[in-house]
Order: sequence, then structure tokens, then C-alpha cells
Amino acid sequence: MIKCSLAMIVSIILIDLGFDEKRVKANSKFDYNSKEFQSIINQLDMQGHADHDISTCSIKKVYYEEVIEALNQGQSEKEILQSYIAEYGQAALRTPAADGSGIIAWITPALGFLLGAVIVGFGIKKLTNKNGDKEAVPFDCVEMTETEKEIVEITFEEERRKHF
Amino acid sequence: MYLIGNIALILGIAISLYSLAANIIGIKRNDRKWLESARGGILSLAFVTSISAFLLFYILGTSQFQFKYVAAYTNNQLPLVYKLAAFWAGNAGSLLLWVFLLSIYAAVIVLNKKKQNNMIPYVSNILLLNMLFFYIVMIFNANPFEMTEMIPADGKGLNPMLQNPGMVIHPVTLYMGYVGLAVPFAYAIAALLMKKMDAGWIKLTRRWTLTAWLFLTIGNIVGGWWAYLELGWGGYWAWDPVENASFLPWLTVSAFLHSVMIQERKNMLRTWNISLIILSYILSLFGTFLVRSGILTSVHAFGDSNLGTYFLIFMGFMMIFAIYVVITRYQLIKKESRPIEAYFSKESSFLLNNFILVAAAFAVFFGTMYPLISETLTGTKVNVGAPYFNKVMAPIMLALLFLMAICPLISWQKAVFDRFIKSTLVPIIVALLFAGFLVAMGVKGIYAIIGLTVTVFMFNVHLAEFWRGIKARRKATKEGFIKAAFQLTRKNQRRYGGYIVHIGIAVIAVGVISSNAYSEEMMKTVNQGESFTFGNYELTFNELTETQEKGNGIVAAEIDVKYKGKSNGTIHPEKIFYGTWPEPSSEVAIKTNWKEDLYVVLSSWESKEKVTFVVKVNPFVSWIWAGGILMMIGTAIALIGGKTSAFFKMNNRQAGVHA
Repeated sequence: MIKCSLAMIVSIILIDLGFDEKRVKANSKFDYNSKEFQSIINQLDMQGHADHDISTCSIKKVYYEEVIEALNQGQSEKEILQSYIAEYGQAALRTPAADGSGIIAWITPALGFLLGAVIVGFGIKKLTNKNGDKEAVPFDCVEMTETEKEIVEITFEEERRKHF
Repeated sequence: MYLIGNIALILGIAISLYSLAANIIGIKRNDRKWLESARGGILSLAFVTSISAFLLFYILGTSQFQFKYVAAYTNNQLPLVYKLAAFWAGNAGSLLLWVFLLSIYAAVIVLNKKKQNNMIPYVSNILLLNMLFFYIVMIFNANPFEMTEMIPADGKGLNPMLQNPGMVIHPVTLYMGYVGLAVPFAYAIAALLMKKMDAGWIKLTRRWTLTAWLFLTIGNIVGGWWAYLELGWGGYWAWDPVENASFLPWLTVSAFLHSVMIQERKNMLRTWNISLIILSYILSLFGTFLVRSGILTSVHAFGDSNLGTYFLIFMGFMMIFAIYVVITRYQLIKKESRPIEAYFSKESSFLLNNFILVAAAFAVFFGTMYPLISETLTGTKVNVGAPYFNKVMAPIMLALLFLMAICPLISWQKAVFDRFIKSTLVPIIVALLFAGFLVAMGVKGIYAIIGLTVTVFMFNVHLAEFWRGIKARRKATKEGFIKAAFQLTRKNQRRYGGYIVHIGIAVIAVGVISSNAYSEEMMKTVNQGESFTFGNYELTFNELTETQEKGNGIVAAEIDVKYKGKSNGTIHPEKIFYGTWPEPSSEVAIKTNWKEDLYVVLSSWESKEKVTFVVKVNPFVSWIWAGGILMMIGTAIALIGGKTSAFFKMNNRQAGVHA
């Protein structure tokens, strides 16, 4: 019980030391609800804490406060993001860069898709009966073997049963 | 109990080895006695594994802290259901769960007298190989029955985030899906080893594959629901590496479930189908490897794990073995098959569907592995998070939705274009009217509008297919609407079950697109009695209370909610301080209606009178769960009544297969 109470007190203190939307708003232009703030924060990985609950994640809180402070000091989105990249490298962001070696991350799925499309295109061409599109009837009933007739009958019977 | 547990694990290895050997001898000598003995071995293995599993449940349920595993994942205060669910909270227990499920699956296969055939010894040997691997790992590296040096008075307890009903369903269903994929894999390899190049293995494993796919679907949906309720960040899918790892086999099995229809009808794509099921099985091992290797950062990873190397070796072995078997049988697989009649046919559209699903799997796999690739090749650390996947996957998923919309309207063999256009006209006009309505209502976001329009088109097409079927049936049988709808579905459960699954996907797509594009969030600090407005909601903070429950401290806020000016009840977002866990956890308060969720997190407080909340309005999130339920219903319908096509039956008859 003592252990539990201690944990609770420590946590309450920690939470209380957390952020307060009004405290931020009092002397500043930007707050946590500003679009500019949201735009920057959504791009930051926050050392892998981006998807954590803000109310229980102390690292995420630090980032929130830093970004608000930077915005209120007049830094632009680009400058703020750049400052994090300078400190942590590209890993500061949630996505690879759109230039340099990071471009590979963006174009490989597209190249894979195109390559796959070409392969499937050729595959369909290879597998398709060349005269199939021109034929009015898929097969000639007169030339059917007994087995083929049986197949057709079974198929028709099954189709009939399927619907009724 | 220590002895029973460990003896059971050692017996597991011994019986697996014996059964493997007995099967090999039986096959070599064509001796029924050895094969029967191996069959007995598999049944005993299921028995022995069940003893291990029930023993672990027992020591967890009765808090026997002399066992390391029990002390590491439970404590005295933990409710019984979570004590039992701690079975799969750690490495050792989850490995035992895997082998337990696999042994039950193997026992079901050898017990099913109706489906006894000469493939069983091969199939069971491949499953035995899997079980042997898991037993070896447990014995040498992750023994759930390992003892502590000193018995602690209490255990460390279960991570609070795992104390959710999702913990009971999500891991088990995902494992059932993963493990289930071993069965079609085993049948495919067995067919190749026996040089049986027909589609017999597909018929035998159709229900196994569909069941595995169903469990993967349930696992992923429940996982999303759990994350949404428990993690407090307001999302349900973070594109975390381990989430991706469970999505990958789902994508490839989805492709497989479609392409087998072509093999059944045309006896085509045999190599492709075998490759897909091998890939799906390898991806299921890949998921297990990711969780245990720690090579990528994930919230799902087991913290104390060093089992990655074991899984990498096993995965590599199984992959090389499977590729070897395919290559050595390739000429036999590549037998003459019936060609596709026309470019514009369901066969071609299924090939496109397979391509898109595999392309999606490739994109997810590449994105997941890219941080590792980048660091290895360039030394640059990068993250590939949700914004990357959202951008890359959106066009692929849009293409998939579009294909799902037109596929049902394309006939087998050779589709008639005029008829296709005629069938498409009404659904597409309705979808375009819907798009116009969205624009007229002032809805922004061109990509979201396109996504929703294609989804509505897909939904309409499936509805129209049902409508046409019911109409035709009513005309022929004079049945009432409900009876005709029921009979239509009953008479072709595989087709209409599939359509229900597609409708479920459309419903999910509405939820995913809307919640990604139109979600709103605000952080608000309020004094006691103060109200604030957010969207259509007016929230009034009444009071903050502190209580003690089962050794945990609970701080809860009471908020009155008004929706469009009318009272909508009271919500209680909470913060729980666990006695045995350093971090508090958030219990989110959610008010759901058919079109949006009000999602409130108690963020922090200065005093009892001044509190900060994070409030979100997430549109159509409940549609994701509803769509998931529809998918389950549709799969169950297809699973119960699916029949094999006449072409397939005839092909088998001609090939002399009497499975």
C-alpha cells in the first residue's frame, strides 16, 4: 500500500509538472491547438514516442514544450525541424528525407509497383488465348468430347443450383 | 510441478523426434505400422503439450512465484483473467502457446478420418519440424517453467496496458492465424514432395487457410480496437513494425484466397499459389522473428528477448527448403494448363488483384525494413513511421478498392464489355452523386473525397449484386425478399460470403479514410464547473475524484457531455496509478455515435479544481469495428458452406485424385 501511495504521489507530482494549455497560452501566440504546432509535431518522431499518450509520456511533453517555445520565439516550421535534424539526424523525423539517400525509400515502392505491373501485364498476355477475344463462342458444342460434355453439364447444373 | 513442466517439454522434443523418424521410416518402407505409430506420436504430442499449457495456466492462476515467468508477469492483485492471459505476455509463454496450438492443429489433421490420405505423413512431418524447433527454443532459451533463486513475496505484475480484454483475444487470435498458416504450407510442400501437381492440396486446406485468414483478420481488428481504447493517443494503427508483420501475411493470404479460385477453375497459377502460401508462412515466422529479435523498435517487442537468431536460422532453413522443393519440382508444376479466354475476364482481374495485394505487401515490407537497410548500407538512422506508410499505401489501397468494385461485375472466361458498362452505370452514378453531395456540403480534402467515392462505388456494386441475385431468385421462385436473400446466400455461400467480406472492407475504408482525414484534436485546461465547446459537443468539468481500488490509485474526472445542445450523459476519463508499475496509465472516455467518437483523455491537473484534457473527435471510427464484424460474418458464411467448383471436381476426377 505504501509502495502504491508513493507511486501515486510521485506520478501526481510528475503530471502536475506537466503542461498546462492555459499557462502556455497566457503570454504566447501559439499553443498546443495551433495548426502550426500540430503540423510540426506530427512530423517529429520524438525518439520513438510520437504515438505515445501525451499525458503519460515525459519525453513527448518535452518536445511539445520545446516546439511551442521555438514557435513563440518566432522560428519557422522549417527552422524548427532543421534544428532537430541537426541534433538527431534524419531520425528526428517520422519519414525519410525526400532527397539524397532517403529518396530510395520513396521511389522503391513505386518502382516495385511499376515492375510488378509490367510483369503482370506480360503474364496476362502470355496466359491469354490470343484468339479468345475474337471468338464469339468459347467452344464449339459439336466438337465436345464426352468428358467435356460432362463438365459442361455439371457446371450448368451447379450454376442452376447456385441460384435457385 | 517444476518436474512435470520440464519433463513435458523434454518429452515434447523426444516425441517430435520419434514421430519424425517414424514417419520417414514408414514412408521409405511403405509400412503402415510405422505411420500409425507416428500418428500416435502426434496425438501424444498434443496431449503432452496440453499438459504443459494447462500447467502454465495453473501456476499463473495460483500465483506460484517460485516460477520466474509467473513472478515476471503477474502479481497477487492481478484479476484472475489477466493472470491467465499472462500466459502469452512473455516470450516463453507465447512460444508454448504457439506449439500448443500447432500440436492441436496437427492432432486435428491426423484425427480427421474423412480426410485421411497419403499426404498426411508428409504434412505431419513438416508440422513436427516446426514443433521440434519451438520445443528446442523453449528448453534451451525460454523455459516457462524455470525457477527463481529466491521466491519473491509478490510478482512484478502485468504491464497495465496489457490489462484489457484485448489481451485475451488479440494475441491468441493472431497466433491462431500465424500457426494456421503452417497447415496449408505443410500441405503445399507435401504435395510437391509427393509430386502431386494437381490442386488436391488446395481443396484439403481451403478451410484451414480461410480460418487462418479469419483469425488474422480478428487479431488485427481487435488489436486496433485495443490500441484505440488503451494507448490514449487516439489512433488504432500506428504502422509499428510488429503491426506490419501481422498485416503482411494477411495481404498475401488475401491474394492466395483469390488466386486459388483460378487454379480451381483453370488449373493455372500453380507455381504462383504455392509461392504465395510459402511466402505467407515465411511472413508469419518473420512476424515472430521481429517481435523477438529486437532489430526494429516496436512497442510490441519482448524486452528481454534474444531469440532473434534462432528464428532467423529457422526461417532461413524453411525458406531454403521450400525454395529447393519448388525448384526441383518446377518442370512438373509447369504442366500445360487452360489459357485465359480473354483479357477482359475475371481471371485477368484476379491476377491484377493479386498483383496489387502483393505490391501492398512489398511496400509494407520495404517500409518496415528500410530503417535497417538504410543503417546497414549508408550508416544513416531513419524512421519510417505512419506518415510514410499513409502516403505510400493510400494509392495502392485506392487501386485495390477500385478493383474490388469492378471485379464482381466481370464474368469468368470472357466478359462482355457492354454488359459490364450497363451493370456499372447505376453504382458509379450513385457514387458520383455522393461525391457531389460531399463537395456541396463543404467537405474538404480531394484525396479523402476520391477515396470515399471509390469506396461508395465498391459498396454499391456489391449491394447491386445482391439485389440482382435476389431479383432473379424471386422471379424464378416467387419467394419473399428475406427468404430469397437468405436462400441466395445459402446456395452460394462462398460467393456471397466473399461479397459480405468486401462490404465489410468498404465499411472499414469509410472509417479509416474519414478518421485519417477529418479527425480533430484540442487540449483544454478548465476550472471546476467550467464548460467548453468542441465541434458539436459541449463539455462541462464537474469534479476530480481520487479513489483506491485493488491496490491501485484512480484519479477520475467527471464531465457532463452535451451533443448538439442535448444532454448526452456523463463521462469519466481516468488516470490509474498501479502499485507495481512506475508509469500511470490513461483510461480513455469515449462517447460513440454512428458518425463520430468523442475521445477524452485526462491529461494533467494543477489541483482538484483545475484540469487539462486532450479531446478528440474521430469521425466514423466505430465503422472500422462494425466493418470488422461484417468481415468475420462473411468469412464464417464462406467457411461453413464453401463448395469446390465443378471444374475442380472434374479436374480431380480426371487426375484420379480421391482425397
